[in-house]
Amino acid sequence: MYNKLLSINDATKTVNSGSNAVNILDKINLQVQEGEFISLMGPSGSGKSTLLNCIGMLDAFTDGGYSFLGEPVHSMKEKNRSKLYKEYIGFVFQAYHLIDELKVWENIETPLLYKNYKSSERKAMVADMLDRFNIVGKKDLFPQQLSGGQQQLVGIARALVGKPKLILADEPTGNLNSAQSKEIMDLFLELNKEGVTIIQATHSEANASYGTRIINLLDGRIV
Amino acid sequence: MIKNYFKIAWRNIVKHKIFSLINVIGLTIGLSASFVIGLMIYHEYTFDKFHKDGDRIYRVVTNYETPDGKFYNPGITLALEDAIKDNSNFETVNGFYEKTSPTVQNKENDIVLKYPSFVIYTTPEYFEMFEYKFLAGDIHTALNSPNQVVLTQSRANEYFPNQKPSAIIGKTLVYNKDFNVKVTGVVEDFKERTDFVFNEFLSRPTILNTSSKDQFTNKQWNNTTSSSQLFVKISPSASLESIQEELDRLAIENEDKEMKTYGQAQRFALQPLDDIHFNSYYGIYDWNRGIASKSLLRNLGLVAMFLLLLGCVNFINLSTAQASQRAKEIGIRKTLGSSQKQLIGQFMGETLMLVLLSALLSLALTKWLISLFSDFLPKELTYSLLGTPSIILGIIVLLTIITMLAGFYPAVVLSKFNAVSVLKNHLAVGQNKAKLRKFLTVFQFTIAQVFIIATLLVSKQINYLLNKEMGFKTEAVVSVYSPWSESELIKKERYVQKLKAIPQISKVSIGGMPPASLNTNSTSTSYGDGENEVRSDLELLFGDTNYADLFEIKLLAGRMFLNDTIQELVINETARKTYGFKTPEEAVGKQLNFWGDEKVEIVGVMNDFHQRSLKSDIKPMALRGDWYRKNGSSQFRAIHISLDTSTSEHLDVVLGKIETAFKSVYTEIDNYEPIFMDETIAHFYNREQRISKLLNWATGLSILISCLGLLGLVIYTTNRRVKEIGVRKVLGASVFQINVLLCKEFLILVLVAFVIAVPLAWYGVHDWLQDFAFKTGISFWVFVVSAVAMILVTTIVMSAKTWHASSSNPVNALRSE
Repeated sequence: MYNKLLSINDATKTVNSGSNAVNILDKINLQVQEGEFISLMGPSGSGKSTLLNCIGMLDAFTDGGYSFLGEPVHSMKEKNRSKLYKEYIGFVFQAYHLIDELKVWENIETPLLYKNYKSSERKAMVADMLDRFNIVGKKDLFPQQLSGGQQQLVGIARALVGKPKLILADEPTGNLNSAQSKEIMDLFLELNKEGVTIIQATHSEANASYGTRIINLLDGRIV
Repeated sequence: MIKNYFKIAWRNIVKHKIFSLINVIGLTIGLSASFVIGLMIYHEYTFDKFHKDGDRIYRVVTNYETPDGKFYNPGITLALEDAIKDNSNFETVNGFYEKTSPTVQNKENDIVLKYPSFVIYTTPEYFEMFEYKFLAGDIHTALNSPNQVVLTQSRANEYFPNQKPSAIIGKTLVYNKDFNVKVTGVVEDFKERTDFVFNEFLSRPTILNTSSKDQFTNKQWNNTTSSSQLFVKISPSASLESIQEELDRLAIENEDKEMKTYGQAQRFALQPLDDIHFNSYYGIYDWNRGIASKSLLRNLGLVAMFLLLLGCVNFINLSTAQASQRAKEIGIRKTLGSSQKQLIGQFMGETLMLVLLSALLSLALTKWLISLFSDFLPKELTYSLLGTPSIILGIIVLLTIITMLAGFYPAVVLSKFNAVSVLKNHLAVGQNKAKLRKFLTVFQFTIAQVFIIATLLVSKQINYLLNKEMGFKTEAVVSVYSPWSESELIKKERYVQKLKAIPQISKVSIGGMPPASLNTNSTSTSYGDGENEVRSDLELLFGDTNYADLFEIKLLAGRMFLNDTIQELVINETARKTYGFKTPEEAVGKQLNFWGDEKVEIVGVMNDFHQRSLKSDIKPMALRGDWYRKNGSSQFRAIHISLDTSTSEHLDVVLGKIETAFKSVYTEIDNYEPIFMDETIAHFYNREQRISKLLNWATGLSILISCLGLLGLVIYTTNRRVKEIGVRKVLGASVFQINVLLCKEFLILVLVAFVIAVPLAWYGVHDWLQDFAFKTGISFWVFVVSAVAMILVTTIVMSAKTWHASSSNPVNALRSE
């Protein structure tokens, strides 16, 4: 009943550290169906973030195959690749990574600018998001004026505004206290129920348990 | 999207106030200079561009090659015009003759103009060559017969105020109280910039009524006056070479025998229309307007370009240094789907915004600058010239270029950041472009340093020029000129008597020009003792027997002439050597042959002194009296007055007395104008003074821009090193040591710039000094002083930031980590 969203076959990521080559990711095989909620677990340095970046096409595997919605990403030109991830992927970061110089609503609007939505459409979509996350009252504040939890809410709103199929969250609650964490994870769960595929990297067992599937990484391998 | 960019750009500009200010100041200075200088260049280069077939119009001019060098005359012999009139190479040939009359009268309204300016006697072809719009009268018949005149509208308004052009046709003007001329046309004045400033066009046969008649009835190949102008429009198929050959042939065919014996040759040349405005050899018709100098315009253009480059360098340096602060935003934008192109666009937009901001400021400043530099700028250059379409287009192009120059490189650097690394703080951005910033900083300071050295050396030379002993008394000497029309001496002598009654005046002398002036009066002479004859031009100075005494000119041998009118000469040392006398004593008593076989005895030899600016050598010269007074033509025009500087009386009071005396003698004259000798000498160097003023500004501004940029860099690096400074202080470094640490890397750059600047400045100033016959050396201390000055200034500027950083409490720096 679910379509296959992405598949990774024998994917490897090698970097040169000094004179010797190090495999950060080693022959990863991963199939993700639409609607899944996957938690990537593993200690620091196990390759979680790199895997997320590669899936999100910010980074590339050095070897192996990666196809997204049936399209071969590994053999794609930069332009098409960026088109693909602009369309279908949203990012949520541990450090929120909001643009300090932009107000809340402008931050949420930014991805739409790069997708060439018209001004009126953008206004409507941003307003939807502000409504949905109950941050209408904060729309004219700058990120620095918000708490961490609120900033992350804005970050998620920004990731969602373009209606992506896949959300990649790198330790989304890493900088938050437990109450704020729970709020964010509940939000993810709700989004997942609405059909958004989510892949999160996390250290926390509790957060990982929100997922429908847990993948453990150790030294770049799925164990 | 664009709106979003501009929003971000504006917020960034506001957030980094100091950096933005530095950028805006630098760019504003550069742009303001470019606007003013650009206007000036545009103004000068758009003279007479509007004439139909202007590229085929030439003025025929005369060049003389003589053993003494080349001489140039903008006129031609009248004989040439007849010789080429029917040549098929020329489509139109127009000769005209510049001549004004003492009076021109409109009897009907009783309006008299004295010496109206810009009057020519011309053939009808003038209006074929240069298209005027006839407001009244017929272009084909207006100048066909004698005693006809065409007026421009402005001149017509002077003769016939408030009358319609058509009403003026047929009216009569009386020239020189002598002959009547009928107005046959009124033309519109040229609205565009032009050197053809003529207002009154008489038909050429009318010249036969005037004192210039002989030149036309008896045209001589060896008689050339600058008043007789000849313009030709060559036919489209004609070749310049064959025309030149033809002109050379005519010149050689009609060669003057006497000129030939003296090794002189007369040649004709074609001067293109667009050369007239710039060529100082031949000049322009309006003498009051300084001739435009292409080299000055080029130098000004260079100054503007350098200032702009300095501003751009600041921008590049500060933007790349600041890159780390923008890195996070860049990373985020990339993950949100921005392409590199879009980021470049964004950063270029920010640059454009700063450039536009600076441009707006510059437009306002330009207005002020135009008045500040009014003595540099042509009179007609006004702020409204900025509204010309081509100037507006030029400004747009300039702003685009500046935006590209300043913004493109930083934009590319910033947009290249890898999103993943940046967001993980893996990239030490900003550090890797340090080499480029160093290079650009050296570039900036090289320019500033060259300007400093050049300024010092130029002002040293000017100082030298103004203070060098001229060889005669220049202090406290005033010259008062009597009216030019006055040829008798009675009034001058009466004036002298009155002056002698003033106790604060020590000496008075009647004579011609003072020993140094812009006027020259020379005659050709020879000295022959048997077989070998020495020919030389001899400059003449006219004075009474008190003249040498007043100007403190020393006599080396012999005596002064006995009275004011006796035919005796006192020659200077240079003349003595030129004629070949071994000692001053030997010259005394010898006879010189003057032009026209007159023999004149040398009775004395005087010291050499400078007759002109120190650009020229001392020429053979003689002091003589007023020989031809009895024929009614006195050479004595001026009364020279030496003031007694020992009196306590205030200078103004003494000058007041001199003026009162003048007015009591010359009751009917109101243009009393005393001229101080030292002012006259200062006038010789107007051009140099202007160059010096320009250099001062260029130096000040380039130092300002460069130091601001340096300050920006120091602020940036110091902020980055706050932690390092804290650690070092904890480890026991003194405030001074830390200051040295922070300033060192920049001072090295300043020194490198100095090393590069020295040969450049030396070469430039050396080149400039070649204009002067007398010059100061390029001394070593000037370079030392300029280097020290630069280091001092940069250290002070840097200390403004480093002192604060190094004296702050290290605990604060470390806690903030």
